[in-house]
Amino acid sequence: MATGHATTVIGSSSFVRGRITGSGDVEIAGRVEGDVTCSGDVLVDAGGLVAANISARRIVVRGAVKGDLTAEDAVILEAGARVVGDLRAPRIAIAQGGLVRGHVQTGAAGAARPRAASAVASRATPSNERVAAKSVARVEHAPAKKQAPPAPAARASSSGNHAETRERPKAATRVGPPPPVVPVLKKGTKAVAHHKKR
Amino acid sequence: MASTVIGAGITIEGEVTSDEDVVVQGTLRGKLVAKDAVTVEHGGVVEADITSGPVSVAGSVTGNISSNDRVDLQNGAKVVGNVKATRITIADGAQFKGNVDMDV
Repeated sequence: MATGHATTVIGSSSFVRGRITGSGDVEIAGRVEGDVTCSGDVLVDAGGLVAANISARRIVVRGAVKGDLTAEDAVILEAGARVVGDLRAPRIAIAQGGLVRGHVQTGAAGAARPRAASAVASRATPSNERVAAKSVARVEHAPAKKQAPPAPAARASSSGNHAETRERPKAATRVGPPPPVVPVLKKGTKAVAHHKKR
Repeated sequence: MASTVIGAGITIEGEVTSDEDVVVQGTLRGKLVAKDAVTVEHGGVVEADITSGPVSVAGSVTGNISSNDRVDLQNGAKVVGNVKATRITIADGAQFKGNVDMDV
């Protein structure tokens, strides 16, 4: 309505099996099995049941959703919302009484998960940074391995111990600017390599 | 107004089942089953078989219409498919291609 398009309503006794796409707002009070993609707002009303991914400008949930919610603007879970799936939007609100099981990520809708993790790490206070970085490193281990392989080989040519001592001050001075993720990961992977050698 | 509306600009590909009124202003492909009235408004496009109560068409329907009540094809309607209903009206200006089956 706000966008000038008519609102689409899936009534409380209606059932849609299939994809819903297009522009305009969608209000779901019934059941939907199939992806919902639209440029307007999506409202899953109390009593609404969606078993699919929802992608929209803004998503408001008061009912049940099993699937990922991706919004360009905001995801808002109000009291009574039950969501099993990942949330991703620049702004996410979960009201008291809203239930979520899944990965929740604020930030640009298109941002990949590793980036968000680095953002969290850079936000950490200096005293917590090392701990935060370590936990991030553990979480990020799998994706990092893809990028890492060339690095250990290059470092191996120089002395391993030197490289390690060089690394530490970096971690301490890195406090101000952002992503500690990549160096920290190199360090982690290298340490693993050392153990294996020994 | 407890009914289902497929707004202009929205496309549903799949099956829609409803116990209440269905209004189509956008596009529906697949199948439409409603216990109550179905209205295809001007600009609405239905490429699906419709099984429902009373049907009123002012938009475009490609598919068979089966109604346990009446079917009204209004001015501007374009229907390609068979129509089965107890009563039927075809308004002046409605385009229609298909068979009509009325229980006689």
